[in-house]
Amino acid sequence: MARLVRKSPSLCTDLPLDNDDISTKLNLLRKLLTSCFGPTGKLKQVHNNVGGHVVTTSTSSVLLPAVSSSQPFVNLIKTSILNHVSRFSDCGLFAAALCLALTERAKQSGLGGNVAIGLNQHLLSLCVGYLQRDDCGCKVKLDFCSSQNLMTLARSVISSKPACVLTEQETLHLSRLAVQAFLLTVPCDSPGTVTLGRTVTVPVEGHSVLNSAVFPGLLVDITDAIYPIKAGTLNSNLLCTVLFSASLAGDLSELGDGIIEVHDGADPDSQILDQLLEIGKQVVKDEVKLFLCQKVIHPVLQQYLRSQGIIVIERLGMSLMEPLIQMTGAQPVAALHTTLPVKAYGKVRELTLRQFGSKTMLQLHPPGESAICTMVLCHRNETMLSELKVVCLKTEHVLRLTLREPSALLGGGCTETHLAAYIRHKSMSKAAETALELGCSQTEYHLGTEVFCRSLESVAAALEHNGGNSLIDLTHAHHWILPADVMREYGEESFGFCGCGLVESSPSKRWTYLNTNYTEFSPESLCGNATQQPRVLDSFVAKLNALQVAVETANLALDVRYIIQDVN
Amino acid sequence: MLGSTVINHQQHVGLQKLAALAGVTHSYLGPDKNLKFIQDDTSGGSALVCSCFRVLENLELTCAVGQLVYETVQAHQKVYNTGSGCLLFLAGAWSRAVLECLQRGISVSHIISAMSEGMDICLDVFRKYSISTDGLGVVQSESWTETSHGFGLQLSKKPIKAVSQAMDHLQGTGNAGHKPPNTGGQRKIKLSRHFCEAKSRNVSAASQPKPLNVAHIAEGLTHGCVSAMKLVVEINQIQSKNHRNISCSAFDIIKVVTCVLPGLPEDQSCVLPGCIVLLSAEQALVAHDLQEQHLKVALINGDLSDSFCHLGFRRPAGMQHVKSKMPLSSSKEEEWMVTVLALLLKLEVNLILISGLANQKMIQRCCRHRILVVERVKASVLKAFADDSGGVPVTYVTQLNKQCVGTQAKILIWRDLGSTGTEFSTAVNISSGANSGLATVILTSCVHGKLQALEDQFWSCAYRLHHALIDKSVLPGGGVIEMLCIHHLQKQAGQCTEGAANPYRGVVLCLMADGLIDYITTVMFNTGRLSKVKARTLVSQQLQDFNGHVGTAAKFSQLFLDSGTEDTAFISTVKPVRAPPMTIYDNVSVKQEAWRKALDLVFLVLQTDAEIITGIDQRTDGAKENLMLL
Repeated sequence: MARLVRKSPSLCTDLPLDNDDISTKLNLLRKLLTSCFGPTGKLKQVHNNVGGHVVTTSTSSVLLPAVSSSQPFVNLIKTSILNHVSRFSDCGLFAAALCLALTERAKQSGLGGNVAIGLNQHLLSLCVGYLQRDDCGCKVKLDFCSSQNLMTLARSVISSKPACVLTEQETLHLSRLAVQAFLLTVPCDSPGTVTLGRTVTVPVEGHSVLNSAVFPGLLVDITDAIYPIKAGTLNSNLLCTVLFSASLAGDLSELGDGIIEVHDGADPDSQILDQLLEIGKQVVKDEVKLFLCQKVIHPVLQQYLRSQGIIVIERLGMSLMEPLIQMTGAQPVAALHTTLPVKAYGKVRELTLRQFGSKTMLQLHPPGESAICTMVLCHRNETMLSELKVVCLKTEHVLRLTLREPSALLGGGCTETHLAAYIRHKSMSKAAETALELGCSQTEYHLGTEVFCRSLESVAAALEHNGGNSLIDLTHAHHWILPADVMREYGEESFGFCGCGLVESSPSKRWTYLNTNYTEFSPESLCGNATQQPRVLDSFVAKLNALQVAVETANLALDVRYIIQDVN
Repeated sequence: MLGSTVINHQQHVGLQKLAALAGVTHSYLGPDKNLKFIQDDTSGGSALVCSCFRVLENLELTCAVGQLVYETVQAHQKVYNTGSGCLLFLAGAWSRAVLECLQRGISVSHIISAMSEGMDICLDVFRKYSISTDGLGVVQSESWTETSHGFGLQLSKKPIKAVSQAMDHLQGTGNAGHKPPNTGGQRKIKLSRHFCEAKSRNVSAASQPKPLNVAHIAEGLTHGCVSAMKLVVEINQIQSKNHRNISCSAFDIIKVVTCVLPGLPEDQSCVLPGCIVLLSAEQALVAHDLQEQHLKVALINGDLSDSFCHLGFRRPAGMQHVKSKMPLSSSKEEEWMVTVLALLLKLEVNLILISGLANQKMIQRCCRHRILVVERVKASVLKAFADDSGGVPVTYVTQLNKQCVGTQAKILIWRDLGSTGTEFSTAVNISSGANSGLATVILTSCVHGKLQALEDQFWSCAYRLHHALIDKSVLPGGGVIEMLCIHHLQKQAGQCTEGAANPYRGVVLCLMADGLIDYITTVMFNTGRLSKVKARTLVSQQLQDFNGHVGTAAKFSQLFLDSGTEDTAFISTVKPVRAPPMTIYDNVSVKQEAWRKALDLVFLVLQTDAEIITGIDQRTDGAKENLMLL
């Protein structure tokens, strides 16, 4: 009999942004995420309250899933940022910092919700329009004839995560590997639609980062294999390969929870084993030399196959299946039918044994031109290795995004300050008409612009965590950092280069602190005539999307009137 | 309820925690160690611990920094089995150095860049002063006496192959053919798309291996564990006897097994060739019968039982048997035993080695048919038997066939343990023919609680030798390498130019060197012959002397032996004065990794500003201090 429990009434929060609790929490989230931002960002130790494994990270894709709030409003923003990260990998912290700054500042400015939303939307379209222009001052065209820009892009991503604890030399080595792996995954000579290949990452703990390497083909871990693969068997050329995705363990586990009735005398286990051995016999007849299985292979079948001179590898795992299919051309066999179609077989050119410390790996070489490669990542300890793995996946993604749009944005905060200066200049020139168009007063228009620009600049300033000051130069509107502990006497000459490394300081340059008012000016572009190469680059596609996500999420946050919570 | 909590680290609590945790290890540094008791007040249980790793294992570390420390030390211990104390001590010492830097207002990025540079300097010192094991300690040749005089400084002139290879490796050029690095051209882009593929490095083995004086190297690596190292040397002798034709330096740590026997005095610890297993009285009888015979051996990688399934096999839950006739008297288990026994008898197997467990009834039945079943055999032993006897390990006993069964295995009763009350009565030596290289270390102690410590000590000695032979080089030990690092750090700190990129480089390097001084003085203090102050004075005196005469025959003496010259009378009573002073060595890779991991720990903690705790219950934990709820 059902028991009736009285339902508690729903909880309704009016104007959530005015709620003290919520605004404190949003402020906390902003501080938490912006403090992670950039190459000198602070790390966070994530663990559960009973003292489990500790994750040390400053990457949004690791951090955000761990942060969950009791407050749905906070989760709303979190989810929106996570969606961006899952699609573009990069610029998650940028999006979060901008979104939360924009929300907070818009609220503080006292602008009406609708006005602020309209203005943000307008300014966002100004930004997007400018960024997509060919003469955009903070955009760099990527040149695929040289690897330099790609290397810079990779280096910027890798060096932005201090939890990897990399030296300059190690960062360089990894950027080189990342670009190498990326280039290997672009197929050379396939006409028609081009399908990018894959990079499979294999982490190896306890080794120097400089031992990391990229190999064409796939590396399979056979450290735990009880039966050593003898070097003699590796020499034969072009091995016929079969790939099973079904478990060959000989069990009935895939039947689920149902009840099976078995007549006495019938032994299902041995019957399945017979079936498995039938497969073995056919495979031997078809002269298969390499037998791969995603899951477990019954020891008896293994013994039989080995006795026939076949190399058997089991427990490949889900993640290797796609690349294996792509590389060998084999079709994964998902059932235990005895007749294997001939077209299911694939090819592997040859096998090489490789040793990485305690790990023994078998390298499967692709039969022909193939866009599959394996990146072996080494690092001294697990914490740094797991962060490194995330970062390398991110780098791969960022490099791939360059194929969609061969551009990059200046890093080091220069894009943000440049954009802010551009918006200030642009909005000033046609203030009256635009304000009319948007249906707000000119004062509101100026206020809204200021909120937007300040928010952008605050993201640039968030790159500095050691008490230094952020400045902007008054010609190119790039971002400069004056470290806190630089001796006074060096003064402004000690600037060296701007955040992205494109502009060098000179006596004729003028700077102003980021949070001060300056007379608006049209920032000059110098990408065309510069002899300097930028040292820090951000992904264009990822950042553009992050900008849109940030503003749209902030607009949504400003638009929420009620939160209704079902607390049952 | 899920929640996230942020703890603010004002004044860097994390680093303070790290320094405090490191305090635990002080008494484990150096050759003279003190044991510690850890007592659990609630359960009344206690543990006797003798190494940093075991302390951490026995502590309940709930804070994030503690967890991080434990994970790091565990990872180090897994690979090296030694050096964890050094790791944690330096992590503590350097976190104190960093705290000092923070107090002086030095920014995090400056601290990190200077300290990484300091680590590079130290690793450079390691490279420069590492001693090749080739020909090391060869009986009193002239070069030896020379080396012992001008320790370190003269050594650097020798071209040390292993080191140069290591450096090649580090630079990523990998040109074993000694090409100038710039012609290697491996990093250049050949095509727009492909990078030059890294050639598989074939590091040619040294053309003519010089004889290695393993005993001498082992003696230098003893680090106070004299009896444990003696056992290690004995293993080496046993193994090299078997491998005489290959190389006398063979030390195959995989083929070493330990066997602990409580209740016997410690001086009965010994090393035996082959694999010693403990057997029950019933099994011992079978072993008696099988002595002095060539046995057929079956190797099973799993359990010997009818209910055993291979890993990954799942029995469906809802299996129902429909019985059509009355059940026969014999059960399924009985049927299985009959078949297996018939198979074993057909194959004439006398000995079964199992990595897992065996059905008790099956063991008894095998005993009746004079088949000896040995359980819980280490995977490496199974492998050694497979290699030597020609057997093939199988998962199920039913898989056995003629090709899988090995031959020429032997059983020898080693000794009767005589104890009636315990499970085991006899220790039996099983071996796979003449030259298996398998060796068992018998560790004995009257105090049961000490066995763990003895086993740990043995393994750390074994791994020290193992790594020295792999590295093919060692470092001058006894504090010499630390002193050299301190000297180089201080020298570099003095050379700081004004207006350099990092104005605090000098200060940070000096503080880093102080951490190392702290390390040496603690080790000296642990010997019990010196006070902390005296030790520090000695160290600074030596450093000053060294600075005074750079380039001359100045050298660092090994501090732990020569310290306290005033107390010679005391020392001479404790340790007989030898004609040539015993040289102490340290491991290159172990020390290098321990130092780097220590610094990595410090960097990770230094850069962390918040702890995020998930799964907080807001009603109960929310009231805690310092917590901010999200």
